[in-house]
Amino acid sequence: MPTLEFEGNTFNVDEDGFIDDFNNWNEDWVKYVKTTEGIEELTDEHWKVITVVQDYYKKNGIAPMVRILSKVTGFKLKYIYELFPSGPGKGACKMAGLPKPTGCV
Amino acid sequence: MALSLERFGGYNPDKPMENRLTDLGPRHFWEFFPPVIQNNYGKWKYHEILEPGVLVHVSETGDKVFTVRCGGGRFMTVENVREICDIADKHCDGYVRFTTRNNIEFMVETQDKMEALKKDLMSRKHVTGSYKFPVGGTGAGVTNIVHTQGFLHCHTPATDASSMVKAIMDDLFDYFQGMTLPAQVRVSMACCLNMCGAVHCSDIALLGYHRKPPVIDHEVMDALCEIPLVIAACPTGAISPAKTEDGKKTVKIKEERCMFCGNCYTMCMAVPLADKEGDGVTILAGGKISNRISRPKFSKVVVPWLPNNFPRFPEVVRDVKKIVEAYAADANKYERIGDWAERIGWEKFFEKCDLPFTEHLIDDYRLAYDTYRTSSQFKYTEAAWEVSRAAGGIE
Repeated sequence: MPTLEFEGNTFNVDEDGFIDDFNNWNEDWVKYVKTTEGIEELTDEHWKVITVVQDYYKKNGIAPMVRILSKVTGFKLKYIYELFPSGPGKGACKMAGLPKPTGCV
Repeated sequence: MALSLERFGGYNPDKPMENRLTDLGPRHFWEFFPPVIQNNYGKWKYHEILEPGVLVHVSETGDKVFTVRCGGGRFMTVENVREICDIADKHCDGYVRFTTRNNIEFMVETQDKMEALKKDLMSRKHVTGSYKFPVGGTGAGVTNIVHTQGFLHCHTPATDASSMVKAIMDDLFDYFQGMTLPAQVRVSMACCLNMCGAVHCSDIALLGYHRKPPVIDHEVMDALCEIPLVIAACPTGAISPAKTEDGKKTVKIKEERCMFCGNCYTMCMAVPLADKEGDGVTILAGGKISNRISRPKFSKVVVPWLPNNFPRFPEVVRDVKKIVEAYAADANKYERIGDWAERIGWEKFFEKCDLPFTEHLIDDYRLAYDTYRTSSQFKYTEAAWEVSRAAGGIE
């Protein structure tokens, strides 16, 4: 598993750039992922999505379904794509430190 | 725009959303129609199969189109596709199409051109001797095998797709080039029971199958996987949450409830189940999707398990051949394998195909009851007499 250094942090990531463990997440991880996900500036709205995803994961053990994410944040799917160009799975979940989405994706 | 030799081409990784084109959809099919197809669109009167692999369609306007169908490997190199393009340029003004079973169809307007095209196609061979573009696949024969990724690209297979398809097609090649069966026989292949493609509704279907429960990697389970998804993935409820000795979240699997579907592995890579000796091939038969005469049918399991004997799968080839030959010898004209089996009764199907019936073939999943025989109507077969004799029944 490759490791990478970012602003004094060491992160272990898989080949798709997802963090190895949710517990190793910190705010610097978000700043690092920002550089690879095509996000120019992190706004409060980005943080709102990340917080909602993380809270849901802590409570339920899974990532929220897209419709739940939309409903709780109040952002339509189109707007989530504007915030995270690679989408809620590859973008938001990766930034929030969740496990990589699985299934026939 | 000129080709860029930079690593990212014209794409600028610092500004990924700049000059981004999206939601354009596929090109409209009309752009790629040969002129004769465009001119006669919606005006076709009738068609004929002139010989195996060659069709002619006649239009109200009197125009004719000769279609030459040839087999394709489905997995193709760009070089192979370029050769297809060369043939299309040479004979068909650059037009070509692929069928829903991944055959290749070249269309020409006259008989002479069709003969020349056919000769050209049959003359092309790989260095190893296999035909590159064998003509056939029409009418009551065996056409191309719809298949999946196998070990070439997928992470959940229980067997390989391309190699098995090649082995089967080599053996059924005469049926591809001929139209000698009672009706068409659709063979399809999927390398796990996700059943990508058409195995659940084909005359003969080959299916990769596991026989061992997953191995759980407790160390990484919680970090890699969303545990509720793993639990919900199980069709038999064999998976439940658990804790490791050092307090990590994980799952446990009731092995006696597991039927090795591999769904949990699809959701979570910490429960792999592929196994060299355990994995193998299941054969199903009797499905169809057309509504001709009888309704569409699901295919039914007729051989529970055969070993993965790479690279030529002799046992699988043998059993497929048994089914096709018994069907060819016994069925009425226009009868698909499923129609034939239902007419003679499945007990006779097993007798005529010389396949053993085992307890694995008896449905035991939820709605199983409807598949049992709730009638005294059945035919005595040698296998049934065997059971009777073993039990000391009537002479």
